[in-house]
Amino acid sequence: MIVAASGVEVRRGGARVVRDLSLDVRGGELLGLIGPNGAGKTSLLRALCGLDPLAAGHIAFDGRTPAEIGRAAFGRTLAYLPQNGRIHWPMTVADVVALGRLPHGAAVLDDAARRAMAAADVTPLAHRTTGTLSGGERARVLLARALAVEAPVLLADEPVAALDPYHALQVMELLRATARAGAAVVAVLHDLTLAARFCDRLALMDRGALAALGTPVEVLAPAPVAAAYRVAVESGTRDGVPFVIPWSRLDRTDRTEQSP
Amino acid sequence: MMRAVLLLLALLAAAPAAAGEAKPARIVSLNLCADELVLRLADPGRVASVTYLARDPRGSTVADLAAQVPVNRGLAEEVVPLAPDLVIAGAFTTRATTAMLRRLGFEVMELGVPTSLEEAYAQIRQVAARLGEAERGEAMVARIKAAMAALPPAPADHPTAVVLRPNGFTAGRGSVPDSVLARVGLDNLAARLSTDRMGQLALEEIVIAKPDLLVVNSAPDAPPSLADELLHHPALAPFAKAARTVPLPIRLWACAGPGLAEAARRLAAARERIAPGAPSPLVGAPAGLLQ
Amino acid sequence: MTGMRHHRLLISGLGLLVALLFAVSLLIGYAPLDFGAALSDLLAGRESLPALVLAELRLPRAVLGAAVGFSLGVTGAALQGLMRNPIADPGIVGVSGAAALGAVVAFYFGFSATFALALPLGGLIGAGVATVFLLMVARSGADTATLILAGVAINALAGALTALALNLAPSPYAALEVVFWLMGSLADRSLVHVALALPFMVLGWGLVLASARAMDALTLGEDAAQSLGFSMQRVRLLVVGGTAAAVGASVAVAGAIGFVGLVVPHLVRPLVGHRPGRLLLASGLAGAALTLGADIAVRLIPTRPELKLGVVTAIIGAPFFLAMLRRLKVEGP
Repeated sequence: MIVAASGVEVRRGGARVVRDLSLDVRGGELLGLIGPNGAGKTSLLRALCGLDPLAAGHIAFDGRTPAEIGRAAFGRTLAYLPQNGRIHWPMTVADVVALGRLPHGAAVLDDAARRAMAAADVTPLAHRTTGTLSGGERARVLLARALAVEAPVLLADEPVAALDPYHALQVMELLRATARAGAAVVAVLHDLTLAARFCDRLALMDRGALAALGTPVEVLAPAPVAAAYRVAVESGTRDGVPFVIPWSRLDRTDRTEQSP
Repeated sequence: MMRAVLLLLALLAAAPAAAGEAKPARIVSLNLCADELVLRLADPGRVASVTYLARDPRGSTVADLAAQVPVNRGLAEEVVPLAPDLVIAGAFTTRATTAMLRRLGFEVMELGVPTSLEEAYAQIRQVAARLGEAERGEAMVARIKAAMAALPPAPADHPTAVVLRPNGFTAGRGSVPDSVLARVGLDNLAARLSTDRMGQLALEEIVIAKPDLLVVNSAPDAPPSLADELLHHPALAPFAKAARTVPLPIRLWACAGPGLAEAARRLAAARERIAPGAPSPLVGAPAGLLQ
Repeated sequence: MTGMRHHRLLISGLGLLVALLFAVSLLIGYAPLDFGAALSDLLAGRESLPALVLAELRLPRAVLGAAVGFSLGVTGAALQGLMRNPIADPGIVGVSGAAALGAVVAFYFGFSATFALALPLGGLIGAGVATVFLLMVARSGADTATLILAGVAINALAGALTALALNLAPSPYAALEVVFWLMGSLADRSLVHVALALPFMVLGWGLVLASARAMDALTLGEDAAQSLGFSMQRVRLLVVGGTAAAVGASVAVAGAIGFVGLVVPHLVRPLVGHRPGRLLLASGLAGAALTLGADIAVRLIPTRPELKLGVVTAIIGAPFFLAMLRRLKVEGP
C-alpha cells in the first residue's frame, strides 16, 4: 500500500491550515508526523481520512482516491484513531474492540478482534466496562479497536498523549510492529524522543507546510527543530538510535508563545 | 388613578341599581341560556347586550333575534359602559365578571342549571317576573306544556336511550334531558351507568349497554374537535345503520325554553319509529352474554 | 452477557411480554365482555355487539398502545445514540410537543377533514422541524445542558403555539382539549386512527432500525464512525426521518405521551450491554410494553374520566429524569 498525498491544501474557516503538502507513506513504514501546536498535523490526518474536504491537491491509496474506493471499502482500507477518543457508552472492552470489525460486517469478537486485543495487551480487560478503565487502559483499548480493522493504513492522532512512559513505549512498539507487519502507519507525536526512537521517517510540519521530511537524524537536527518549535535541543545517539531532549526556549520575547 | 376610575364607574352604576325592582330597560346577558330567555321575553329595545354565542345558529335557538342586538364576550369591561340596570349571568360561568360587577354596584341575577322540567319552567317564570313580563313567561310555559301533552302516549315497554354529547359526556340523572326522556317514555340508561348529571361515559360502556336509541347531540357541520370526533366513532356506526341514532342539536334542550318541546317532539317521533321488539342493530348478541 | 444468544433471548422475552400485555389490554375494559364469544364472532365475521366492542374499541386501543410505545422507545434510543446523550427523549427535547402543534393545526382547522392524511403529516412535519433544529443546535455530540435548553425552548414555543391554535380554532371544545395533546391518551381511538398512523410509524421504525450498525459505530464519536465507513448524513437522515414519521404519527393520534423514550432505553441499556445498535429494537419492544401497561393502569385506576396516559408515564418518568440529571451532573455526560 502506498498512500500518496500531493499538493494537498485544507482550509478551515478561510484559513489555509495545510498548504501545498506532498508526502508518500509506504506499507511497512512508521511515519511520525511532528510539529508545534497548530502546525496542521491533525488537519492533515483528517484530510487523509476523508473527514475534511481538500481545497486543492489529491490523496490516493494505491493510486485510487477515496471516492473511487467507495465509502464501505474505504472503511476497510484505513483505520483512524482520533485524538482524545471517547467511548460514549459503558460497553465492555470486548464490545468496543469488536466495533473495529464493523467495516467487515457485524461488530463481533472474531479472530481479528482477538488478535488486536492481544496485541494491545487488553485481553485481560475484555469483560471490564469502559467506565472502569484508567486513561492508559482506555487509550490501549481504543488502539486495539483501530487495530481490529486490520486495515493496510493506520492513522493515529497522538496515540501516546495520555500515557505513562511504560505504556507509551508499549504503544510505540505496537505501532512499529503494525508497520513491520505491512501496514502504512502515520502517528502524530509530540514526544520527540519517542518519535526519534521508533519512527522510520519523520515529517515535520510548521504553519501548514511540510518543513522537513526524512530520517529522524535528518529532521531532528538543531536547525529545523529551532525553526519550527523555537526550542534548542540536546541530542545524541545511543546504539545508533537518536534521542532528542528539548532543552531551552529560543526567542523568549515572542508574544505568540503557545501553552503546551 | 385606577381606583378613581372604578369609583367613578361605581357612582355611575349606583343610580340605575338604586332604582330597584323597576322594569329594567337596559338588560345585559352573560349566559347563553339567559340570552334565549331575555331575547324571547323582553322587547328587543330593552336588551343592551347578549353573549356572542347567541348569534351562532349551531348552539343558539335565538340566532335571528340576537343578530339585532350588540354582543359581549362576558367581560366586565364590555358591560360597564353599557350601564345596564340588570345583568343576568350563569351561576357557574363568568364568576370573576359577576363578582366584579357586584362590587361596582350593578344588579346581577344568577341563573342556576335546572335539574328537571319543573325547574326549567320555574326558571322561565323567575326570569320573566324580573323582566316585568310575567304574562309572557306564563304563556311560554303553557305552550311547552301543551306541546308535551300533545305527544303520543308513552308505550308500556319503555325503550332505552342514551344521550351522547361531545367528549363522551352524557345526560345523567337529575338533568333536564333526563326529565325530557322520561316525559316521552324513554328509559335513560345513563341514569343507571353514570352517577351525576354531567357524567362522562366510555364509548365501550355505551355500546355494551345496547340502548334502543342513541341520542346524539351534535351539529352536522361542527368544526373539528376531538370532542365531536367521538360522535363519529366507527363503533357507533351500527346504530346509525339501523336507524337507532337520533341526531338532536344540543341547543334544543340545553336551556329552559321552547326548544324543550321541540326536543320532546323529535324524541317521541324516534320512539314511535322503533316498533316494540324490533331487531337489535346487532345480531348474534344474546342479551345474557352481556350482563 | 452480551452474546448473540443472550440478545435473542432478551428480544423474545420482551416480545412475549408485549404480546401478553396486548392480550390483557384487549381483556380489560369498562364493561364486562364475553371475550370468547367476541373473538369467535369476529373471526366468523358475525356482526355482534361483543365483536364490535372488541374490533372497534379495544383492538385499536391495544394496537395503538403497542405501536405508540414502540415508536417512543425506538426513537428515544435512536436520538440518544445519535446525540450520544442519555437524556435525549422525544418529549424532553421537544419533538413530541412540536408534533402535537403540527397535528393540532392539521386537525382543528379542517385540513384533516378534507384530506385525512393531513393529520399524521401535520405531526410528521412538526416533529421533523423540531428534530432538524435540535441537530443544528447539537451539531456534534450534544452536552446535556444544550439538549435540555433546546428542549425547553422548543417545548415552550410549541406549547404556546398549540394553545394559541386551539384558542383560534373554530370549535368551542378546542380550547379544552389542550390537555389531550399535552398529556396523550388512547381512550376511544378507532381503527381509522390505526390506519392513518400505523403506516407512518412502521416506516419510521424501519428507518430508525436501519441505523443500528451506525449507532454502534457512533459510540466512538462521529469521526471514528465515519472512518469505519458510515456516512453521517445518511445516519442523520435515517434518524431524523424515522423519528419524524414515528413520533409525528404517534402524537397525531394519541397526543404527546412523555418520558417513555427516556425511561425505556435507560432500563434496557444494561440488558444489551449498552450497545446502542442492539438497544433500538429492545427499546422499541420495552416501550410498547410500558405504554400498554400504563394504558391498562389508567383503565384500572378508578377515576372518571380516566387519567390521561401522560400523567401515568410522567409519574414514572419524571423522578427517573431527575435522578439521571443528578448522576450526569456528577459524572459528566
